Amino acid sequence: MSSTLYVERPSAVHRLNPVTKLVALLCVIVVVFAIPQWWASGAVLLLVIVPAAVISGCGGALARIGGQILLPLLVVLVLVQGLTFPGGQTVLWRWGPLALTTEGLMFAATIGARIVVLVLSSVLLVLTTHPGDLMSALTEAGMSPRFAYIISSTLQLIPSFRARADSILLAQQARGLAVPRNPVRRLGVLMPLLAPLVLGMFTDVEERSTAMEARGFGSTAKRTTLTPVRDSRAQKVARWVMPAVALLAVVLQVGWGLL
Amino acid sequence: MIRLDDVGYTYPDAPAPALQHVSLEVPPGSITGVVGASGAGKTTLAKVIAGFIPQVEGGELTGSATVDGRNLAELSLVEAVSKVGLVIQNPFNQISGARYTVRGEIAFGLENLGTPRAEMAAGVDEVAALLRITDLLDRSPYALSGGQMQLVAIASMLVLRTPVLVMDEPTSQLDPAGTRLVFSVLDTLEEAGVTVVIFEHKLELLQAHADRLLVLADRTIALAGTPTEVLADERLSGWGIGATRYTRAARLARERGLIGAEVPLPVSFDQAAAVFGTGAGGAR
Repeated sequence: MSSTLYVERPSAVHRLNPVTKLVALLCVIVVVFAIPQWWASGAVLLLVIVPAAVISGCGGALARIGGQILLPLLVVLVLVQGLTFPGGQTVLWRWGPLALTTEGLMFAATIGARIVVLVLSSVLLVLTTHPGDLMSALTEAGMSPRFAYIISSTLQLIPSFRARADSILLAQQARGLAVPRNPVRRLGVLMPLLAPLVLGMFTDVEERSTAMEARGFGSTAKRTTLTPVRDSRAQKVARWVMPAVALLAVVLQVGWGLL
Repeated sequence: MIRLDDVGYTYPDAPAPALQHVSLEVPPGSITGVVGASGAGKTTLAKVIAGFIPQVEGGELTGSATVDGRNLAELSLVEAVSKVGLVIQNPFNQISGARYTVRGEIAFGLENLGTPRAEMAAGVDEVAALLRITDLLDRSPYALSGGQMQLVAIASMLVLRTPVLVMDEPTSQLDPAGTRLVFSVLDTLEEAGVTVVIFEHKLELLQAHADRLLVLADRTIALAGTPTEVLADERLSGWGIGATRYTRAARLARERGLIGAEVPLPVSFDQAAAVFGTGAGGAR
């Protein structure tokens, strides 16, 4: 079983220094949250995320995983904001106290577009960056190995969590637990499984920590790497230019409201 | 040489000690097996010898635990792990997740210690050749069987050039093939001069590979000797440790009068063949 969502491909996106990708992700998020218009998120999606996904060869995986995360979020967002937006004037459809308004839908579109960018860009980073490469790159950039490991290991949480949850569910089903199809009732049945899931994860963390310490993880020596972290002059420049552009967007919007 | 003198240990906030009056010596380059019922204190003793107690766990350690004359309680954890390697039960949890090839995984400890790249690469190749896992080096650690993962965990320790390897039930989560794979490297380690202390329940495999066995019962070392001496001891069952298939069969045969009481109980296939094959002791 793999403990990461990383998809190995011989692409230019995969070959980028992980710190470059991380900086790009943070800048994209800053830009879409700084500029409140939905078109800003749409532009980032079409001009940055979609091309990067195509070049990386991870478009299918991105659509699948992104869809699983986004679909329920967007449905809830459109229903809640579209039907209950307090400043809604242009009513498209009404049912009792609930009114679907143009303003509500526009607000949901703006928030939804930001969430789409946030989720897809994060998932793309996870799909194209091995946690180990991220850890090496962050350590080489001067971050503490412990902190770098915490960041890189969070990328592995979802698969580990899912694998353990599957085995606990299987064990409970073998002992007669019926899992209903109805999502609400299903959630009620699955809630009691959280305790063994979390306790099991704690045990795993403790064991993993022992294994890491046994391999000198607590050493204060300057870390070395078996394989050098890929980097280039262009990427070093990009890691300064991208935050500058993001900062400019924030200043133009927050300072003068120009965007 | 590993030496424990009257070691006692109590976990933080625990009402009773987990170990008391433990004294033992492990000669360099030997394989020592430690057996004991669940809850007897095997993992605690493994962590004392590996230097994790009290540095990581806290608690109160009394007596002295030394490796090559250095008191483990006075060493930092990083110093301790350079002297003693620790292999734990779950092979999956020993994979760092920080490297995507076995080669990188084995080198991970060396990276932590700041070893130069060329030295690292040579060390990985050397230890992989020793454990006969060179063909696995370019595979993902997560694509390995449990037994292969344990070999990678052992390689990850050996590459640090630790003279002592403590293995805490390394086969408890492995299938028979994985178990055989792990035990098959014990003799290689002994030939390479590595001192091994292995905590295990698999008595027959310990009999075949260990030079010496210790029995941990009632939180202390209750018995020590050669595998033949220890495994034939009548008290093992009372300590919840059981016996080999050969010993159990011989006991049954003795109860039924098929062999005499004076015949030593066999603990291995060869000994059993000698006892049953010749009808020693006056089979009736």
